[in-house]
Parts: sequence; structure tokens; C-alpha cells
Amino acid sequence: MTANMAATIPGQSARKYDLGFARWVYENIEGGDKLSMCMQCGVCSGSCPLGTEMDYGPRKLFMMVRAGMKDAVLKANTMYNCTSCYSCVVRCPRGVPVQYILQDLGRAAARMGYQEAKTTDNARFAKAFIWSTRKFGRTDERLFTFKYYLSFGLGEAIKKAMANMSIAIKLVKTKRMHLGMPHRIKGTKDLNAILAKAAEIEKREQGI
Amino acid sequence: MSDRKAGVYLCKGCGIGDAVDMDAIEQVAVSEMKAPLCRQHDALCSDEGLKVIQDDIDGGEINQAIIAACSHRVMTDRFQFNGTQVVRANLREQVIWCHPANDEDTQMLAADQVRMGIAQAAKFDTPQPWTEGDFNRRIMVVGGGVTGLSAAREASLTGHEVLLIERADSLGGWAAKWSRRLPHRPPYRDPQDNDLGALVSEVEGDSKITVMTGALVTRTEGMPGKFTVEITRGGAAVLETVGAIVVATGWRPYDANKLGHLGYGASPDVVTGVELEEMLANGGIRRKSDGQAPKTVAFVQCAGSRDPEHLPYCSSVCCGVSIKQALLLVRSDPDAMAYIVFDELRTPGTAEEFYRQAQEAGVVFIKGKVKSVGADLTVTVDDALLGEEVPMTGLDMVVLATGMVPNSTNPDAEAEADEFQEQLKADINPAVPIPSAGFANGGEGEEPQEGFPWPWKDKTPTGGSILNLQYRQGPHIPMLADGFSDSHYICFPYETRRTGIYTCGPVRRPMGMAESADDAAGAVLKAIQAIGNAAEGAAVHPRAGDLSFPKIGYDICTKCRRCTVECPFGAIDEEEDGKPVVNITRCRRCGTCMGACPVRTIGFDNYNVQMISDMISAVEIPDEFAEKPRILILACENDAYPALDMAGINRHQYSAYVRTIPVRCLGSVSMLWVSTAIERGYDGAMLLGCKSGDDYQCHFVKGSAIAKERMSKVGETLKSMMLEEDRVISEEVSIADSARVADLIDRFAGKIGELDANPFKGF
Repeated sequence: MTANMAATIPGQSARKYDLGFARWVYENIEGGDKLSMCMQCGVCSGSCPLGTEMDYGPRKLFMMVRAGMKDAVLKANTMYNCTSCYSCVVRCPRGVPVQYILQDLGRAAARMGYQEAKTTDNARFAKAFIWSTRKFGRTDERLFTFKYYLSFGLGEAIKKAMANMSIAIKLVKTKRMHLGMPHRIKGTKDLNAILAKAAEIEKREQGI
Repeated sequence: MSDRKAGVYLCKGCGIGDAVDMDAIEQVAVSEMKAPLCRQHDALCSDEGLKVIQDDIDGGEINQAIIAACSHRVMTDRFQFNGTQVVRANLREQVIWCHPANDEDTQMLAADQVRMGIAQAAKFDTPQPWTEGDFNRRIMVVGGGVTGLSAAREASLTGHEVLLIERADSLGGWAAKWSRRLPHRPPYRDPQDNDLGALVSEVEGDSKITVMTGALVTRTEGMPGKFTVEITRGGAAVLETVGAIVVATGWRPYDANKLGHLGYGASPDVVTGVELEEMLANGGIRRKSDGQAPKTVAFVQCAGSRDPEHLPYCSSVCCGVSIKQALLLVRSDPDAMAYIVFDELRTPGTAEEFYRQAQEAGVVFIKGKVKSVGADLTVTVDDALLGEEVPMTGLDMVVLATGMVPNSTNPDAEAEADEFQEQLKADINPAVPIPSAGFANGGEGEEPQEGFPWPWKDKTPTGGSILNLQYRQGPHIPMLADGFSDSHYICFPYETRRTGIYTCGPVRRPMGMAESADDAAGAVLKAIQAIGNAAEGAAVHPRAGDLSFPKIGYDICTKCRRCTVECPFGAIDEEEDGKPVVNITRCRRCGTCMGACPVRTIGFDNYNVQMISDMISAVEIPDEFAEKPRILILACENDAYPALDMAGINRHQYSAYVRTIPVRCLGSVSMLWVSTAIERGYDGAMLLGCKSGDDYQCHFVKGSAIAKERMSKVGETLKSMMLEEDRVISEEVSIADSARVADLIDRFAGKIGELDANPFKGF
């Protein structure tokens, strides 16, 4: 057990191993029915560009699903580190849609109220991203970055912003970041309606 | 043969004529060896070349052809002259292909090859086959399970009468208990209906097959073509005559009571795979504790298998069986979950498809070793892929995939008599070259190498013999340390160490139904061959077709019993006074008896002590001042001699001081040959044989081990002759060792070169 893993399980839950979890994943997670085909070759973990950032690579996470380690799986940061590059999906010899499964496991963790789904770096980043998208219909690098920094608190946000100042200046000089009013798309309202509809469909599919 | 007219034919083809002075060789043959006729030809194996020989035969010029050309292992179909003896002298593979051309030493070697050929022909008689009495063609099949039934049916289909003996009261064996069987037809993804019932009906309705159920074989005597078996059935014994025997006694499940650490006995819901199979056949899977259908079931693989404390081997079918049972479980109840905990999942060949099917059906596979199973059905797994111990809780049932124990003995019968227990142990222990009889080392062979699974080191398998052979070497069929009957897995899988008796199915190695049926066909074909060859007086494997057989000169025989003890196949029995009696159709013609005989009174028409001695003596020994040592190589014709031929084919050069004589087996090497060589002035001798020991490659099982044992005595003889012990060595060579054998020879020749010349030269 890595130190990292111990950190993701602050208080041990009553039942560390739940044999029913594998079946729950098979039946409830998108692509989970294909998870049974995993033969633990590890090509997914080996192909993952962000594998080193993960608590467990996809291979190990899937084995933990089989062993019924529900809490450890849903507290892992693996799902939020996936950048959807699809290397694993392309390479999996058994046709397991690794990316779908990770993404849906992350969503399930958030739905089930696992704090890790809100507090990991990537979760904060995703939140800031969706804030900018909803507000402007696009990412505004300056506001979106600061919004992400702010999720750590104001003091921490200023610290982070100052630390990255030289990069920001270079970005402005090369016109990769602008200092005026944020650009907005025309149909922000329409986009939000689309997003609302998507959320509605998701809820309906989840039966919530 | 009194009136020998031997013609020597020298072939100049394949470059032999360019590398060797053939006229000089002809001089040797005619002037020195007094050959009545010698001819040279540019390519003897051509139609013209063969005609030259045939014309001499037809004209009454010769009745023996000594063909000095290529190795006796090739062109056998060309150099075949109906009824005329052919002796071959190898000038190609072992002379010009591995020694420099037009060299003095190469020339001397070529001349000696011809000398040896002429000497061999002088003692070479055409063997007359032994075909006395009647030969029975019926096949007895012991065991009425899937293997035995298949064997009986296969034999019947070839037109042979069959006697099928089954211990139980009905046919079918274990397989009759299964509801479904492993898939053996495309697409190999679903458990198939058990079609054994159809096979049973076929056998029962077959007029060529006589079925005897509730019967045991209580005595077997005789030999292939002439076995007399006593079958006891309900207290009454009947005698039957059969030509060959197929043993298909199968297996029994490993006793789960010995698997307390896996929870067997602690909870009624820990069951074996066989018990689960019985449930499946009788209405479905139910917990023994409360009669409920289990929802969560764990299958524990390798329960007792691949465990030095229990069964050291893989039982091969358990992985497939658990997959089948798990599939049947999740298909019958969509709510049920099956977990298969395996260390290594062994799903060879098409079984991989079956494994995939189970994965698709949602069966969970967990890789790891099961540490323990508790009375509350908690299975603790040392999960190899997570690197931690995982307790599996909330299970309703645990299934132990127990392994197969071969029925190489009848567990219900009385153990063998004490006198044969030691023989049985010696046969099991491959490190013991000679079963104890007060000759060799009293049965105290070298210990098996460390780590070698040895469950029967100090005990013999439980139960009594299956066939109760009335053989000098005991009633059992020799078996291996793990209890399976001994055979060579790859080269000759059905051949036991008892000629005419063939094992197949799980008594030979663990296997499933489909493989057992195929195996039965293989063993039956061997049995048919044994019957046919026995009737013609010909040997079976590995000297299939050999018509010679050992003849004992009873006027000289001292009844020392060495031949009866050392025969690797138990072919020689003893009369009350110790007189050896060869059961000729049991004999494999290896000649181990000939090598054993201290008074050298055992021999074959075309292979005997005097013949090889004469060949050894025919070689010209240069005097000590010539500084040309001579080394005798006695090479096993099965592996070492082909390796030497291959060295030639691959043009590996080695010392030209060696003189090679092929022998049937190192076991046939008489120590007289070695002492003859030393007395004649050879400087050293090398015995090249097959690998001995538990992974023996010897075609005659113990021949090379016995030769090794005898060699240990040669050192003392050499010392008494005031010679260095390391002038005579024995080496193990495999057929693939062509480069190594050249190197071995060179190193030995180097060592001999450092020693003084043999002082017996010139005497």
C-alpha cells in the first residue's frame, strides 16, 4: 500500500471489502459490463500519460473493483486525472472502454457524496472550467484560472497567482491572454439551455 | 551361417572418393581382410549402383553386402536386397564430413570403418523370428469410464474383439455423474450436453465387445499375444486369453478431508468440485446447510494441487471445470455471483474461448493464493495483483477445485507383498539404476535432487496392483513419483515399461473427457501394433519390426539372475531354480540382458558380444611411437549415434582418432568390450548414451543408468591393470547435441593425448 493510498482513506469504512461492488460496477457504470473482460495485462496503465499522477493506474483500480474495495476505488484520484486521451481505450486488447468507466466512476463518486470528487485538484479545475463555460460560452484563461485559484481560498489564490506572474506576462506579450473585458459568445443563453437539458437527461438516465 | 560370401562395395559419391584414397581401402578389404569381392562405384545408391550389387547377388557371387558409403541411418530403402544381409560402414557422415580430406588420419579412419564392417558381417546372422504357438488378437480394456469406453469402441471399430472390465456395477465411471461437459466442439464457448450415455449404449450394443462389470483382474501372466488373465467377479474367477491390454483405470478426486486449511469439514457449505457436479446433475446447486440456492459462490482453484504437501502436479482440468460450474451458476440464477480465485488459470487451447465466455457472463476472476477458508466462509486471498491480503466475506458457498489422483493402483485392494514393495519403490525412483537384488547398490540410489516433489519417498502408493502381473519384477506397472504410470510424455506416451500393456487417460496424466477419448484411440493403436508384431515375431517400439530376440546359452548360464533383475521391461522371468526364461514378445530387444550377463551367454543373431568384440579388434592399432592414440566410442544408436551423424552433416570437426560403434542401448554394453579395447591397445573409451534420471531420455528407460552403474566398476578394473581410471568415461548426449558431442570428443581426446600411450599396445 502506497503512502498516497493511505491518505485517500482517512477513516476506514465499516467494510473495506464488499464483494457486491464488482457487480454494482458491471451493472451501473457506463462501460462497466465490459470491465469483466479485463485480463489485468496493464497496457492501460502503461499507456496512460498521467499514470504517475494517479493513486492507482486503471489496471489496479479495476482489480480493486473486483476485490470489492469500494471506498478505496471511489476515493481515488484516478478518475479525475484522466484527460480522455483514449490511449488506453485504443490499446486495450480486451476492448474495455477504460476512459468511459473512469469518467462514470468519477461521476458516481460525486453523486454518492465522496468529498474527493470535490476537493481534488482536477475536480476544482473542472468546476472553474464549467463556470467559465456557462458564463461566457468559452474559457477565459485569466478569469477561469483565478476562479480555480480561488477555490483554495483568497490568500492561497493570490499566492498562486503571484507565483505564476511571469508566465502570465509572457502570455499577454504573445497575445495568448488578454487584459480587456472577457469575450463572450452570442448565444450564452442557448448554451446554458443545452447544458441544462444535458443535465436533465443525465438525471433521468441515472433515475434520480 | 556357414557359407558366407561377403562383398564389399565402396561408394565414391558425395565426395568420399575425393577425400579418401579408395584404392588403398580396396587393398585393405581384399588383401588384409580377405574379402572375396570388392567393387568401387561412383554412386552406389543410384539405380546403376544398386544394379551392380543386385547382379552379384543374382549371380551367386555374394550373400552379404558390406556397403561402405553413408550412415546406416539413411538410404535404408535403397540398400535393401530381398533376403540378403546388408552391413553398412559409415564413410560419409562420420569420416569425410567431420575430418579433413586427404589426411593420413582420415584415411586410417576410413580403412578401419571398412575393417569393422567386414568383422561385423562375419558374425552377422539373419534373425529368425519367434512365432511359436497361437497368438490371440483380443484386446482387454481395464476400466469402463470415458477412456475405457472409448478404447473399447475404437478397438471394436478396427475389427478387434474386446474384453471390457469394469470394477463398478455399471459403465460410465466419474463422467457419468456430470450434467454437462467441457466444450470440445466449436465455438467452444458453452458447456455441452454430456453424451456419455450414447457411448455406453454403443459399447453395450457392440457384438465385438464383451462387458464384465463388477469385475477385477486378479492375475495376469504371459506376454503380448499370449496373456492369460484371471478375472474375479462376485467371488468366481474365470480365465481369459487376450493379446494386449489397455489400462484405462482413470482417476479419483483428491481426498478433501486432507484440506482442512481450506475449510473442508469446518462448514457444510465448503464443497468439492465433484460434489457440486453431483448437485448440478441432481436438480441444481443447493447449500448443504439450509437447502437454499447460493447467491455468492467462490471457487478455490488448485485446492491441493501444485502443492508439495498434497499433489505436486497440476490436475489440468479443474480450471475448466470451475469455469463451467460458474457459468452454469450465473446462467441459472441472474442474481448469483461467481468468483474464481486462481493462482494461474490454465485454459490451454480452445479453453481460452471458454474462459472469455465466463468473463463476458460476469464471472469475477481474482488472481491470488488462497491462504485460508474460515468456517464462516471467509476466503482470505493473497491478491497477487493488488499486493495485499483480501478477505472475501459474505459468501454463501465455497467450492474447492480438488485435483486428480491416478488410479495406478486399486485403492481398495490389498497392497503388494513386501518383497515387491521395494521393487515398486525402486521403479518409482528414477535415480536408482538397478532395482535392489543385492547386486548394485542395494536399492540405495542417489537421493532425488532437492526441491523435487517426492510425496512417496518413503512410502508406496496405497492399494494393490491393477493387473497383478505374475512377473519376476512384481505385479505393478512401474509408475512415476507422482503416481502416474511411467511413459515418455512426448515421444512414446502410451508405452509403459511392460510391453503389450498400454495406459491411457488420467491414469497416465491428468486430462478431461475429450482428451481421454483421443488418448484411448492412441493406446488402442499401440495395442493393435503390439498384437500384430507379436504374431510376426517382431519387436514393438522403439525397435519396431526387429526380428531378433535374446537367446540364452543355458549350458553356460550360472543362474545369477542379473538379466532377470536388470531387464527394464520385466521381460525375463525366473523358474524356481533361478533359470531365466525370456518372454520373447515382452522383450524390446535393447540388449540390457546381454550387457548384464557376466558369462556373456546372452546374444542376438545379429547383435552379440562376440560381434562387437571382433569389430573392436578389427581396428588397426598403430604402435606407441606413431603417437596416434585410438579411442573407442560406443554410441547409443537412438541419440548419440544420430548426434554424431548430425555433427558430420553440420561439418563439426573432431578428433580422427575415434572409432565409433553403434550399440542398441548403453545398457547392452558388455564390460568385455571395454576390457577388449584396453587389451587391444586402445588408449581410451567413451560411452555415449542418453540422459538418465527422473527426466530420462533413454529409449529403454534404465539402460543408460545401468551402464553408468556398471561403469563405476570399470575404474577398479583399470586400476588393477595399472591404468588411469579416467581412460574410460561415459557421457550423456541428446540427439540435438551435434556441436557438443564434437567438443566432448575433442576434450576427451586431448586428455588421452596427455596420458602415456596404453602400455598394452602391441601385445
